[in-house]
Amino acid sequence: MSDVAFYDFVRGPFLKLALFVFFIGIAYRFFRVVFLGLPKDYAKPKGNPYYMALKKIVIKPTMGWTFNEIFSRRAINFMGGFLFHLGFLGLTFLVPAHAFLWQEITGLPIPGVPNIVSDLLAYSALGSLIALTVHRALNPVLKLLTGKDEYLANFLIGAILFTGILATKWAGGGFYVWILSTHMFLADLLILYIPFSRLSHFVYYFLSVGFMGWNAGKRGVSF
Amino acid sequence: MIVESKEDIGQEEIQKFYDFCKKSINAEVAAYLEACVRCGICAEACLFYMGQNVSGSIDPFLTPAYKADLLREIYKENYTLLGRVKKLLGFGVKITSEDLREQIKLAFYTCTNCDRCTKACPMGIDTPRLVSIVRGALTYAGLTPKDLADATNLSVEKGSPLGVDIPTFLSRIEFISEEYEVDLPIDKKLSEYLYIPSSIELMKFPSSVAAAGKVLNKSGVNWTLSTIAHEATNFGLFAQSKEVTKEMLKRILDGAKELGVKYIIAPECGHAYQSMRFVAPNVFPEEWQFEVLNIVEFIDRAIKEGRLSIKKKVLKEIATLHDSCQIGRRGGVLREPRSVLNMLAENFKDSVVIPEHNICCGGGGGVLVIKDADYYRQKGFISKMTLFDKVGAKTVVCYCANCILALNKSSQELNRDYKFVSIVELVAEAIEEEEA
Repeated sequence: MSDVAFYDFVRGPFLKLALFVFFIGIAYRFFRVVFLGLPKDYAKPKGNPYYMALKKIVIKPTMGWTFNEIFSRRAINFMGGFLFHLGFLGLTFLVPAHAFLWQEITGLPIPGVPNIVSDLLAYSALGSLIALTVHRALNPVLKLLTGKDEYLANFLIGAILFTGILATKWAGGGFYVWILSTHMFLADLLILYIPFSRLSHFVYYFLSVGFMGWNAGKRGVSF
Repeated sequence: MIVESKEDIGQEEIQKFYDFCKKSINAEVAAYLEACVRCGICAEACLFYMGQNVSGSIDPFLTPAYKADLLREIYKENYTLLGRVKKLLGFGVKITSEDLREQIKLAFYTCTNCDRCTKACPMGIDTPRLVSIVRGALTYAGLTPKDLADATNLSVEKGSPLGVDIPTFLSRIEFISEEYEVDLPIDKKLSEYLYIPSSIELMKFPSSVAAAGKVLNKSGVNWTLSTIAHEATNFGLFAQSKEVTKEMLKRILDGAKELGVKYIIAPECGHAYQSMRFVAPNVFPEEWQFEVLNIVEFIDRAIKEGRLSIKKKVLKEIATLHDSCQIGRRGGVLREPRSVLNMLAENFKDSVVIPEHNICCGGGGGVLVIKDADYYRQKGFISKMTLFDKVGAKTVVCYCANCILALNKSSQELNRDYKFVSIVELVAEAIEEEEA
């Protein structure tokens, strides 16, 4: 297969397949949980459950930051997690090359960030991913909790970030199309893999935090 | 109805555990089980893990996320496509008797349902909710720890986990009334408020019951005690036995209905407040039409309405506040005790900036009564001590008798000289000093 044929494959049918599986899979995972239903709660609320559910969805990831002793022991998790998510999501949607792709798909004008911002996002995402993975491999609690899924996901994302940086900074002549296609191939694989892994946690974030916030509102708890 | 404490774990127990876990799944539980990203931050929020850590060793098995892992596996193989396929191919969950023994330790010994991990978890996973299901499954399988099972059964048979039956209740009330010179009305028809003490207070801290009586009398409300509804504690919640929970609540319902009260005042007892405020309306959706207040909520409200006033600061030394998890972090009563304590103490130093950050006493959720859990309770207390020492307080004000009991016990066992006092007793003292 030539480099251009491979490029066409990962940009065309393989991407379509990945997206199809992704959307079906994510919808299945979301509704599989929602359709389990809830028992009716007759206890009179002390606060406003709706407001608290929404509030928690907005602020929940930062709530852990307010525990000084937890933050001091898990700065890698908090800082690394924040930088990784910021970098990864920023890169996915706002890097000029990706913004162009999203614009093509959605038809909406999506502005790309300047190259220096893209670089910062990429290096912070890759650096924090490496730090988080090493931490995962060494910390006794994380060693207990970690399975193959976590390492596979981290490896895949790391490879995408690395090949993305390589493609952007490419000075290797004729292999450019191969490296770019590899980057896109790995991204397709990631899209395919998300519904089958814990990477789909973003779907459950809204449910889990929503329920937690609802309960906090119901019980009149403000934090 | 009797809660069992079997020694041998066979296939029947394993199957019962499995079935209970399976049928306890709903959208909320499934969302929590699915959302875990295995970050382990919850470990750092857990008082047992922290205590172990401060002592110089790390026990990763105390991580809250790990406590729900068997439940998660059972969920997956029954409610997910991949899990079902795995089960079909013979790669399903294989539970051994050792696994269930570990679950007993994880759910009953090393979790007080304090909810601190939920607050720290970036995904908002309510681990106490998940641990409660594991507890319920173990109880359903007849595997409740013996000490807890005995106390639970005693509460059903005699009316209280400490064996306080009606004659004992009446004699204790008579004693408290005479000893502390306080009027404690019993079974006064058409009262507006029903105050239900816990047997811990009745038997171990009678001054606390007397103080509540003095405060209620001073506030001028029409209140009573009840012989039928004489126990507020609900050990059904500790064991997660729906039958026991319902039976204990039924007695309260019967007593409250007979007297025609509008309000029920829960005592200084965390699980009593939880059971009456948040569980009872779901057990008796039609009949439970009472407004339930914790005694501290009542005091705060009475002060705001001008029915009570505290002008005397009875605590001169540095004092800090210990929050009851079930009344505070899981019950929303956090501002009230602080507001009241500010009136009572000259030098109140809160050990936490955000009240929901406070650490559990280590004996909640029935852990206090389980002898085999003593080691963990003491480790939990080490975490707790760090907060007292941070503000340099030896006097710790509490609003849960179970917390006072647990804290006192751990403090003595570890040769510490902290003093744990009831906030209601301080209020009564301030009122009395003012009158004098």
